[in-house]
This record gives sequence, C-alpha cells and structure tokens, in this order.
Amino acid sequence: MAKVKGAIKVDVEKCKGCGLCVVACPSKVIDLAREVNGKGYNYAYMANPDACIGCANCAIVCPDSVIEVYKVKAEMA
Amino acid sequence: MAEYKLMKGNEVIAEAAIRCGCDAYFGYPITPQSEILETLTLRQPWLETGMVVLQAESEVAAINMVYGGAACGKKVMTSSSSPGISLKQEGITYLAGAELPCLVVNVVRGGPGLGTIQPAQSDYFQAVKGGGHGDYKLIVLAPASVQEMNDFVDLGFELSFKYRNPAMILSDGIIGQMMEKVKLSPVKPRWTDEEVIKLNGSWATTGKTADRPRNIATSLELDSARQEQFNHKLQAKYKEIQEKEVRFEKIACDDAEYLFVAYGSSSRICQKAIDLAREKGIKVGLLRPITLFPYPTKAIQEMAEKVKGILAVEMSAGQMVEDVRLAVNGKVKVEHFGRFGGMIPSPNEVVKALEDLIIKG
Repeated sequence: MAKVKGAIKVDVEKCKGCGLCVVACPSKVIDLAREVNGKGYNYAYMANPDACIGCANCAIVCPDSVIEVYKVKAEMA
Repeated sequence: MAEYKLMKGNEVIAEAAIRCGCDAYFGYPITPQSEILETLTLRQPWLETGMVVLQAESEVAAINMVYGGAACGKKVMTSSSSPGISLKQEGITYLAGAELPCLVVNVVRGGPGLGTIQPAQSDYFQAVKGGGHGDYKLIVLAPASVQEMNDFVDLGFELSFKYRNPAMILSDGIIGQMMEKVKLSPVKPRWTDEEVIKLNGSWATTGKTADRPRNIATSLELDSARQEQFNHKLQAKYKEIQEKEVRFEKIACDDAEYLFVAYGSSSRICQKAIDLAREKGIKVGLLRPITLFPYPTKAIQEMAEKVKGILAVEMSAGQMVEDVRLAVNGKVKVEHFGRFGGMIPSPNEVVKALEDLIIKG
C-alpha cells in the first residue's frame, strides 16, 4: 500500500522568518534555519523532511506565499 | 469603487506615495524597510506620474537629496530603519532649521548600534525628543496597521506642508513586514510647476521673479539675536501643532479601572491583552497615541483622573513611559512593561505585567 509523503519548497529570499509555518505544522517538520537570507532573516526550511505529510497547512498560513507543497507516493517497505 | 488589496506595510508606503502625488523618493536599502525601495523600483512610477525614485549612495546622501527637493517646494520623502535614520539626523535637523516639509519613514529595528533586524520601538526618544541638534521637533505619526501606513503617507505630507516642518512615520519591523487588507487611497496627480509656485512660491526656490525678494533655503543665521527670534517662531509653531494636531484613539476606556498606553504594534498586542484581562474580570482600557509629537498629554491627564493605575507597554526599555509620567504627574501609579532588542511581548505577558506591576504592586 502506498503512503503519501510530502515535501515543501521555500522561496528563501522572500521568507521573513515570522515562524507561523513552524507553529502551523502538525508533524514538526519545519524550523527556522541558522543561516540567513539576503535580507538577514532566518528562513524556514525542512528540518525533519521524513515527517512531512503534505498537508499544506504551512503554505496556507504563510502570509507571503513563499511555501510550495508537493506530494509524492512512497511505497511502504 | 474603493480598491482593496492584501499588502505588506512597506509595500503600501510605496503605493501610497505614488498615489498621493509624491514628487521624489530618495532611499537606501536596509532591512526591515527594503521593500519600500524595492516596490517603488518595481512599480516604475517615473513612467506613470513622473515621480523620481533614486537609490542614493548612502543614507546621508538620501536625506540631503530630500533637502534639495524640499527646498524646491516639491513633495519628497525618504525611508530607512533605525541605524540609517541615525545617519540621517544631521539632514533632518537642517530640514527643521530651514523649515522645509518632507516625509521620513522609520521602520524601527532593535538597537543600539547595528542591533538586530527584528522589530522594536526603541527610537521613540530619537523621533520625538530631537535626535539631531537644536531645539526642533518633528511631527511624528505612529501607525498601528497596514491601513494606517497607507493613510499616514498622505496625512504626513499634508501636515508637513501645512506647518513647513519635517514629518516622520514611526513604524516598526512588525507593521512594515505584516500583510493586511488595505483600502488604497484615490490617485492624486502630482503638483504642476504652476501649482508649486502658487502653493509654495512664498518660500520655495521656484525661480525669483521681479516682484519678490530671493527665497533662500538655509538654517544658518550668524546674528544670534535674529537666531533667537527664529527659535521663538519655531517654538510658536510647535505650540500651535500641540494645540491643533493631537490625534489618539481610546479603546474600551468607558468603564476602565486600569489603562494601557501603547502606540504602534504594541497597541495591537494590548488590544488582545484587553480581551484576555476582561475574561479574568480586570477592566482595562487602551489609550493609543497616534501622534507622538504632539503627544496626547491632556487625554492621558483626563484618564489618570478615572483609573487606578497605568501601564505603558512598549518594545523598548522604557521611553514613552516618561511622557506618560509627565502627563499623569504623580496622580496614579505608572509602570512600564516592555520586551526589547527585537523580542515581541505576548498578550499573556502584558496581562501578567498588569497584574504584577499595577494591580498587586
């Protein structure tokens, strides 16, 4: 049986590091990076990519629409 | 029909500047206000209205370009964040000394020094008490929403031309970066050369005609007696501004036993804190100064007669609280609560501070 696995892509230069997606994620996938973008903000990234379920809560809550969500079918081992 | 958009605070400053007929913007990028310059260059208003947009070589250059534009009687503006505004202080006091109108936007970040890029309200003293040298004041407007970022651009220009005095929008990294619904202002055309001469010809360097003496934009007067006379004139102007232009908002003050005084984004946090406190049975209201100079001293005096204690909430180590204390003059207890250096207080922290510092304390 196939399990749906998700992944997010962050537009790093547009992210302002507000952290709303970190709170919105039900499986604690997202964290703010230690590195900063061109403006100096700690941008969001997938700290725990395996846990992503592709629910898109992060993309919905993002005020600047910087997150894209993808779903992939992963075969159960 | 009114035009509504979801926009960032910084973006709306740029949009409002174009729509209110601003003649020129001179700036230099700095987080968290870079989107003002970015949006202006993206919108290319020089094709649409003829507005000049220029990234200067530094903040110092930008404010002196503003001086030049303002001396010509044009609507000119600049923007920066705290460290950049510190660099602009010399130009700002020269503008005040030469009685030139302009608009300066400060999207405040945490200090001192380069500090942080996160929001703070620690530039209150600099904006309200001087910043540069000499006895001068700026007209300081404190927006608490993206809508007010839009509205205060036009208002700032209006007041600065009315009193021939620089005006400042004292925003912060929250409102500058926040996305909110905004009702955009109607488009006003830029002043034509004839209109500039008609409106500002009495003082601006619009080209000397045979029927009037030369207009000179300067803040230099080596004759001390005349310089004192000029200072008296300035003080009379500031007094008139204090009498006529005070703006503030009262929220849930009718039955309030305690009072928050907060401006800008702190006032938004206090509004949530009011709801939380009232659930607990604490009757608290909010007085939000909209103009920081002129300060709503009388309104705070009146509230001090009615309430048991006042908490000034700011994202600074305690700056505006001094003006609250001066207004209250010892009648009731006044305390300060703030997070600073880029940290933002939560509504729960504000309620706890009210309980600990004012109610129990």
